[in-house]
Amino acid sequence: MAEKPPPKPVSPRDWESLTEDFRHGGARREKWSCLYPSLAELALSSILKKEFPFKIPLVIFLDEFSHLLFPSNSISSLLDRLIEDLRTTVQSPIDGAHVNYALKEQMMVSTTSILISTNSVETVEVRCTAALVELLLAVINRPNHGPDRHARAIACECLRELEKAYPCLLSGIAGHLWSLCQSERTHASQSYILLLTTVIYSIVSRKLSISILNAAVPLIPFNFPQWILGPEKEGSGIGIGLNYKELRRAMAFLLEWPRVLTPCGMMVFMRMIMPLAVALDLQPSMLKVQFFGMINSFHPVLCHVVLIMYSQFSEAFNEKEKEIVRRLLFVSLEMQQYLVFRLLSVHWLMGFLNRFMEHGVEMEKKSIIKMGFMFYPHLFDPLSLKAIKLDLLAFCSICMDALKAQSGSDMIVGEGKSVVKLFQDGLISVSAFKWLPHWSTETTVAFRTLHKLLIGSPHSEADPSATNKLMESAFYSHLKGMLIDMILEFQRLVPVIVAFVDRLLGCQKHHWLGERLLQTMDENLHPRVVIDYRIVSYFLIFDRIAENQTIPPRKLLGLLTKFMAFLVEKHGPDTCGKSWSHGTKVLGICRTMLTHHQSSRLFLGISRLLAFTCLYFPDLEVRDHARSYLRMLICVPGLKLRGMLNLGEQLLGVSPSSHSESFFSMQSPQQYQDPKKSRNISLYIHLERMIPLLVKQSWSLSLLPLGIGNKSKSFGGIRDSEASIDERELDASIPLRITSGDERVDKPWVPLYVMDSKVSEILEVLRRHFSCIPDFRHMAGIRIKIPCNLRFDSESFNHVRGGESPKSRLHGVEALPALYATVLKFSSPAPYGSIQSCHIPFLLGQPPMSDYIHDETASLDIDATYVGSGEEEAYKAPVAIEFEPREPTPGLVDVFIETYVEDGQIICGKLQSIKVGIEDLFLKAITPPDIPEDALPDYYLDVFNALWDACSSTSNTGREAFILKGGKGAAAINGTRSVKLLDIPADALVHATEHYLAPFIVSVTGEHLVDMVKYGGIVRDIVWKEEAFGLLLDANTSASELNRMPLQLTFTENEDERGSELAIGKRSMGCIDILIFLPPMFHILLQMQVSDVSTLVQIRTDHWPCLAYIDEYLEALFLT
Amino acid sequence: MAGDCSIRALWILNNLDAVVFSRRFPAVEKRWRAACQSENESSENDSVKYTVFSSLPSDSELAAAFSDRKTREGSVRGFGIRVSQSKEGSDSWVDDPITRHIAGFYINREEEGEDNLLWPLALHIKGPYCILILPLVEPRHVKAYTRVWAFMVAHAIGDIITGDVADPEVIVSQSPSVGGLLDSLTGSIGITGISRAKPVAAPVASSVPSGAAAIGALASDIPKSGSRLLDKDALRSFISSSMPFGTPLDLSYSNIFSIKANGFSSLDIPPQDLKQPAWKPYLYKGKQRLLFTIHETLHAAMYDRDEIADSLSVSGQINCRAELEGLPDVSFPLTGVGTSKIETLSFHPCAQVPERNVYKQALVFSPPLGNFVLMRYQATCSLGPPVKGFYQLSMVSEDEGAFLFKLRLMEGYKSPLTMEFCNLTMPFPRRILSLDGTPSIGTVSNAEHSVEWKIITSGRGLSGKSIEATFPGTVRFAPWQSQRSTSFRSVLEGTTDDDSDNEPENANNMVNIEEFLVEKMNKDLPPVDLEEPFNWLAYNYAKASFKIVGASISGVSIDPKSVSIYPTIKVPVELSSQVTSGDYILWNTLGKCPSAVNAEV
Repeated sequence: MAEKPPPKPVSPRDWESLTEDFRHGGARREKWSCLYPSLAELALSSILKKEFPFKIPLVIFLDEFSHLLFPSNSISSLLDRLIEDLRTTVQSPIDGAHVNYALKEQMMVSTTSILISTNSVETVEVRCTAALVELLLAVINRPNHGPDRHARAIACECLRELEKAYPCLLSGIAGHLWSLCQSERTHASQSYILLLTTVIYSIVSRKLSISILNAAVPLIPFNFPQWILGPEKEGSGIGIGLNYKELRRAMAFLLEWPRVLTPCGMMVFMRMIMPLAVALDLQPSMLKVQFFGMINSFHPVLCHVVLIMYSQFSEAFNEKEKEIVRRLLFVSLEMQQYLVFRLLSVHWLMGFLNRFMEHGVEMEKKSIIKMGFMFYPHLFDPLSLKAIKLDLLAFCSICMDALKAQSGSDMIVGEGKSVVKLFQDGLISVSAFKWLPHWSTETTVAFRTLHKLLIGSPHSEADPSATNKLMESAFYSHLKGMLIDMILEFQRLVPVIVAFVDRLLGCQKHHWLGERLLQTMDENLHPRVVIDYRIVSYFLIFDRIAENQTIPPRKLLGLLTKFMAFLVEKHGPDTCGKSWSHGTKVLGICRTMLTHHQSSRLFLGISRLLAFTCLYFPDLEVRDHARSYLRMLICVPGLKLRGMLNLGEQLLGVSPSSHSESFFSMQSPQQYQDPKKSRNISLYIHLERMIPLLVKQSWSLSLLPLGIGNKSKSFGGIRDSEASIDERELDASIPLRITSGDERVDKPWVPLYVMDSKVSEILEVLRRHFSCIPDFRHMAGIRIKIPCNLRFDSESFNHVRGGESPKSRLHGVEALPALYATVLKFSSPAPYGSIQSCHIPFLLGQPPMSDYIHDETASLDIDATYVGSGEEEAYKAPVAIEFEPREPTPGLVDVFIETYVEDGQIICGKLQSIKVGIEDLFLKAITPPDIPEDALPDYYLDVFNALWDACSSTSNTGREAFILKGGKGAAAINGTRSVKLLDIPADALVHATEHYLAPFIVSVTGEHLVDMVKYGGIVRDIVWKEEAFGLLLDANTSASELNRMPLQLTFTENEDERGSELAIGKRSMGCIDILIFLPPMFHILLQMQVSDVSTLVQIRTDHWPCLAYIDEYLEALFLT
Repeated sequence: MAGDCSIRALWILNNLDAVVFSRRFPAVEKRWRAACQSENESSENDSVKYTVFSSLPSDSELAAAFSDRKTREGSVRGFGIRVSQSKEGSDSWVDDPITRHIAGFYINREEEGEDNLLWPLALHIKGPYCILILPLVEPRHVKAYTRVWAFMVAHAIGDIITGDVADPEVIVSQSPSVGGLLDSLTGSIGITGISRAKPVAAPVASSVPSGAAAIGALASDIPKSGSRLLDKDALRSFISSSMPFGTPLDLSYSNIFSIKANGFSSLDIPPQDLKQPAWKPYLYKGKQRLLFTIHETLHAAMYDRDEIADSLSVSGQINCRAELEGLPDVSFPLTGVGTSKIETLSFHPCAQVPERNVYKQALVFSPPLGNFVLMRYQATCSLGPPVKGFYQLSMVSEDEGAFLFKLRLMEGYKSPLTMEFCNLTMPFPRRILSLDGTPSIGTVSNAEHSVEWKIITSGRGLSGKSIEATFPGTVRFAPWQSQRSTSFRSVLEGTTDDDSDNEPENANNMVNIEEFLVEKMNKDLPPVDLEEPFNWLAYNYAKASFKIVGASISGVSIDPKSVSIYPTIKVPVELSSQVTSGDYILWNTLGKCPSAVNAEV
């Protein structure tokens, strides 16, 4: 913006650029704003300058920008100046150079315009306007005068404009005007006639009772009439009622002179004459006689005048309809005519016919409408004309149908031609659309016509019933047949046909029509389509069909499956790219289906298709995609699935807000995460053990704070001594020697023993046993699985994540939040090795208890997924924590979760840790593969016995190293013993044992006990011994005795010993031997000596630290 | 306001989208605002509320809106019908070809916050200029329009004819107010050209000031426009006289410019008992005579096929120049009109057309000054086609075509009908490498994309006999290369082309090389404008151009003896005729061709 005002314009050049600035607007205009009042003054004085060539443009400039240049504060003086300028200009003689008629005329016009647009009558006194009128009247008051005739015409126009702005301004002097009008014979007479007409028009419309013959009032000086100034402008005080007689006379006079008017003048004239004729009750037929001939003129304005007349006085013009139609037809045919008028004539005709259909004479309708069928496009008609003519044909055929329905007779248009035929003929003019590319204008025109035809005429507001009729019409059936044929014959048209259907679908009113067409296509297309590569052209249509919920997807799926099979079959080195591209497209359609249909509706077909693709499709990427679709289909319930697959488009019935940012559309992994929201994650996301631990509290908690991952070097210190010793032992390979093969060669540390046959038997059993145990240092160790469930609580989830209000609109499962692509990572301070992370593609939130009790899974889309599982299972994801324990010790597994919520945000954080109890580590002993199944019980018993022996303090096997599987490492047994007295009755013990330890039982001894256990039926495939001497064990039995226990001990001995030493149960019932393998390579041996009221458990192990856990376990198992 | 047919403003833009001229009519604008106000008051209960754009845009705003629209609609005119890239709310969304002539602009004003619709704008393109005229219509029509597109129903014009709704088309009829007058100027130049043979003293025509000629040349003649600036003064003065307050009164530029240039002298005495028409400001003085020219243009589609009939149509007009003193009426019977197959007839406004049976009675007219078109007609050709025969083109290989012409000229045409010249042009979208063959008559030349056969050269007119002309030959084209401009295509289609998958198969399925080529060519065909009758590039054809003088071929004629003038006076009447070819097309008999079904009128 200019800080300092621009210099005042002086020269014509200055003014010219200023004018430009004003027209340009914006800042360029703005900079002049400070000069506004003085600008006008300057301009006005410039106009009077003698030597100033820019006068006329300057006057026009003042006129055009009077609203800016004449500000209200100084308007009065400026207008006075303006009038003065005008007077000077008009009165100065023509000198040819500086004052000419052009300037005079422009001054008159512009002054008038300025006074009108500044509304000077109200803003200033009337004096300005009165002065102007007087000046103008003086000019026109010289009829037939020579040189100034055109100036007089212009002055008339100025007066007319004033009369229009202030109706009845001149009505007082109408008599004078009339006589002037009568005497004027030059070409200016048009302006006089129009002026008089305008004055009469305002008299009539204001109902002024005034004599227009009376010339008593002098023309000059001009008196500003009171009715303009008065508060009531409706002619109060003048009298009531029009002076009809005089006015009719004036009308008769005016109607004498239409031939002197130019076409434009005629237009203006007729626009006033028609309401006058109505007001004065003139016969419309008079107008008809006088003016109807104009229809034959090639001047479009005159044709239009006739049409306006017709629309006003249609009764008077009946029987002329055919002529009008014919004439409009001619206009459209005239090649000399501007195209726009040819187009307009058809428009007019359509309007005309439309009106005629509503108001016309019933009898005439058919023949008039028939004339519409003469409007075939001609070969050389421009396409726009062809298009609009085809519209007309469509319109006429619809009218015909309507008439047919009304009359009830079967009507044939033209000479034995059906409407369909007529229409086909019309379409020929653009029939190249069939083979031209689909973007050609011909194609657009053709399909536009089809559309017009289907939805009814664009010019009639067809009621729905009419549209329904269309459905049954011959047209519709013809059209749909035509579309189907076109699809099959001209594949290049498919995009256009799809666009056509889209257009119908996009319209609320015609959506159903589009659907109907799609349904028709679905029905008729599939059987006729040949399965080959060209089927790809139809994919656009298939996509629309797939989108449409009203169309069962079965047929399409069948076709696509066949096509996939075709692709698989045709696959070869040349068709790699094709297979990929086509396969991808097919999957695209599948995706469309998945996003638009209920999963259950699709499930069978689409899973077959996807499964087939997964298995057989040659292209890896397609297979991959198919697999992920299949997985999602199976895992994710319907609505969520649709949300996930949605690429950003709106889906029907899916709340946009909850899925506005879908998986695919979100910006790739958002790093953003709300720490506040992630912190309390364990409050609502739970990972829980499926089988609760027996030992409720774990003292292994003390192991927790230690560093993870480098435990081999960081033992000691915080750990209790037991644990550290244990670790050192393990690592220092005192009990467990693990050496490389070379080492073993270098240091043959295994001493030689003299062994008896029993010992060697034991050793053999043990060697065999250990050779089956994998050495975790060199190969995959033994894995422990802890089954867990992941679940999360919808309510608290929503609560924590902040008002998910939009969901409240959804019901049942759809309302629940979900987690996507969850990854659970585990770590543990305990020596469990690395724990594999776990992936859960999808998890629904657990509904609040009250909710899902009645909702259940009723609204779930995928019923199949949930069949057979309890309703709660739907909201839990099974997770197995799998680890390879390096040492059999209970511990904690820490759980970290990383997951996505629907809006694409990442949640991550720590969940509640999972406890691993000693019982989780219980495994059955590994059996060599060559043991037949029926020999297994015996083998277990052998192993039990051998270990039992080896773990006795006096074992001979102590120095033996047992080669582990793989041959690289070896283990030695360093046994420990312990006892525990369980003060519980026998049946309770048996029950608990059966429940928790059944798989580990290797033998049961004692008739009574055998009966009891066998009867339970839970423990099977073990060695049953009914011998009583099996119960002779006691804590103090020597190792050697123990080793031979089944053979050596007698019932009585044991009875006595037990009775005397342990002083427990009155009656020993028998003994249960239990062999538990503790990975990676340790064992717990339990021998339960059962009696009525208490049981003594002998415990031996080759891994002494576990005794403490076992003790606790047994207590938990049996005593709580 | 009833009876108002005024213009609120007009703009002229050049081909750089800059406003070169603008004119606003504040008095009309005032009426518009009053109408808007009462409309807003009356529609207070209306559920659909729109505030119409009540003020005029500045030139810069308009220019911005203009280029916006150009972008939105794809071109200055726009697509006219709804195409794939049409946006909701755009003119082409309305799906009416008239939107290529009636445009809607959205004026973006920052302070008003939203886009304001400026509608309807009559759009006329002439040379490098684009003329926009904003007429005064009732505000509710603008609203209706807004509503219309909101409902996505393609009513652009609606019930135009129904009574009070008649405003929008008024404007359109005024749209050539600037351009149109220029068009008619060229028309009259044409007539002068015809009567040039006999030198005419044309005092009035010569009185047309140079300013008018300058404008005419400006707007109608593109090559010159670059070197000339718009004559704003001439334009301004034309507007001031023809529509001082925005309401057109007389759009005849020649009248207005004669008045401006000549003025009137006290010697110009008006007739005693008659009113001098507004369209005839001056009365002729001098030697009296009457000139008529029948000018016919022959359009033909020659198929030479059994299943499609050849079509021949004549659009003709009778041009007239009446150098008669006073205000006489001229009348003559239209001979031949009854016998020949005249389809349509329309007349100059000065003609008084008998209410019944135009064809049998004499035509009476009161001639205006200068040259004017008295009458127009469409007719069928009463004689046979002046160029008859066939054109066959067959591709013998991918790049070589063999063709054969076998024509008969002027068969059944008797003297005085003379064919002054006759050329035949074969346009090819592919570049021509070489041409082989010799015609039986005439000379042959070829340009890059067309072959021209001059059968009869001017100076050796053919009269009184018919001749046969044959031309066998071969034409070799440059190897096929896809000329697709991908940017253009992708803009139009909005998608990438994925037809490539199908190509090999299509090739195998092609019946012959012809089909294959057609298929290939079509891939490159851009869509044509709606002003074209069809996509010319898609067909093989030869276009004949000729001129025949001596008589009309429709049978329309004027007998100079029966021309009578009232008040009676004997003046010489001269009559001339010429027939020129319009679209005179010989379709390749062996290829595809467009056709249409003819309805009996």
